[in-house]
Amino acid sequence: MLVLLWGLSTEGPLAAVHKELLQQNVPVLAVDQHAVLDTEVRLSVGAHLEGEIRIRDRRIDLEAVSAVYVRPYDSRDVAAVARAGPDSVAWRHAIAVDHVVASWLDLTPALVVNRLQAMATNGSKPYQLEQIRNLGFGIPETLITTDPEAARGFWKRHGDVIYKSVSGNRSIVSRLQPEHTERLADVSFCPTQFQRYVPGTDNRVHVVGDEVFACEVLSGADDYRYPGQHEVEVRACSLPRTVEDRCRLVSAALELPVAGIDLRRTPEGEWYCFEVNPSPAFTYYESMTGQPIGKAIATFLAGAR
Amino acid sequence: MLAIVAGRRDEKARHLAERWASLSAAVLTCEDLSTAGWRHFPGDPDRSEVVIDGQSVAACEITGVLTRLSYVPERELRRIVAEDVKYAAVEMTAFLRSWLFGLKCPVLNRPTANCLSGPGWRHEQWVYAAARLGIPVQPVTWSPDHASFVPEGETPPPDVTVTLVGARCLGSADDTLVRQARRLAGACGADLLAVRFSKTEAGFRFHSADQWADISLPEVAEAILERFREAEGC
Repeated sequence: MLVLLWGLSTEGPLAAVHKELLQQNVPVLAVDQHAVLDTEVRLSVGAHLEGEIRIRDRRIDLEAVSAVYVRPYDSRDVAAVARAGPDSVAWRHAIAVDHVVASWLDLTPALVVNRLQAMATNGSKPYQLEQIRNLGFGIPETLITTDPEAARGFWKRHGDVIYKSVSGNRSIVSRLQPEHTERLADVSFCPTQFQRYVPGTDNRVHVVGDEVFACEVLSGADDYRYPGQHEVEVRACSLPRTVEDRCRLVSAALELPVAGIDLRRTPEGEWYCFEVNPSPAFTYYESMTGQPIGKAIATFLAGAR
Repeated sequence: MLAIVAGRRDEKARHLAERWASLSAAVLTCEDLSTAGWRHFPGDPDRSEVVIDGQSVAACEITGVLTRLSYVPERELRRIVAEDVKYAAVEMTAFLRSWLFGLKCPVLNRPTANCLSGPGWRHEQWVYAAARLGIPVQPVTWSPDHASFVPEGETPPPDVTVTLVGARCLGSADDTLVRQARRLAGACGADLLAVRFSKTEAGFRFHSADQWADISLPEVAEAILERFREAEGC
């Protein structure tokens, strides 16, 4: 058994899982993308898959890897690579290492948390929600439009509306306010996503294999991740059994054995799903609630054969 | 109406739209995504309104879509200011993925999380899938010398292309290659797929595969049209 970690060693979730694996005496090797220029990968893909990663004097036989925890980062953004620039050998090396590792992650029979293809569903939020539309959660009425009139009509119809990116970029949720009226004309340049505002309490649910860790988030901010002046309180909670099961179902349907699911419970007791984070920054919630999410991920990885 | 989602310089797409002019075919470019008129209601595609070649169209009038882009490239977005081009390209890709995925009419190929048209597999994935299906392959080998960013070994051009459009199989390949191409299409779930083979002393082996079939070939264009018509009759 060998667990491989791929990402930046200084990054919270990766460091937390690494620490837990060491505490559980699980053989683990971290491939730190900070060291991409010292990393060499050999990979052969045919009827069989075999290869190795070398980092300085360390050598990892990829066939010995039973599980991988991935927090991918674009190696071109590593300081030494960025400094070298796009025409450099370092730049091409970084692209190649990322490509070869990604190819291996696509194909390896090892447990991968999470596969890159599965993680990509979050690149289009409405696409992701379509995949889970029939799994039991409510999904807010949504309009994506380049038509300012349509946006105004949607706003008028629902009264309270939020807007947010369609992709995962600049993904901040904001409530439409009267001062936005003039800016609505700008939607004609690029499809813009509007959703009916759903009142209620935010719940963040981390699924790790069959385990479910739920917490509720109390905040007056439109997006508690960017609270501004608002206070944020995060506390562990338990979910109704049916909601827990739905979370497991969503995680399985998206092929994300580890997932961070954003839910909201309305005052009427309905449960809405807004998105499923395929690479959740669980350490924030863990630090606020004491829930052993990192330990659960480590145990899950160690259980792979 | 038939929509061909393509780059503004895609001459093959333009010619195909002209060929299908009697069916109101038109090219949907990325500039259409910067035009007022889109109204996409995820989960309710019949209510949606789209912009194709500058004209507003009810989505329910579209009877087939051929997608020739794997993502929205920044170079296609001439109406967007420079500082927003990168963001807009990602947003438009995410938007098209949702819209194309939700359409009820046939979409060649329906998008996946990685690609606006079909599986969007890396070459390594195609080779591995082919090999697992018993198709002879030339293994892909990456050596530690990454500076060149190419795998080891030479890749001569393919000798035979088998194009699959739904159940139809086009090209002059022998039955074995046709069966192999069908197996590969089945494995990746693509309706439109070009599978290429190289001839070696030991016989044919898999060369490459992708969704970019040569639509300038009349038989490919006709097969795509037939695929759309079949679905209309369902």
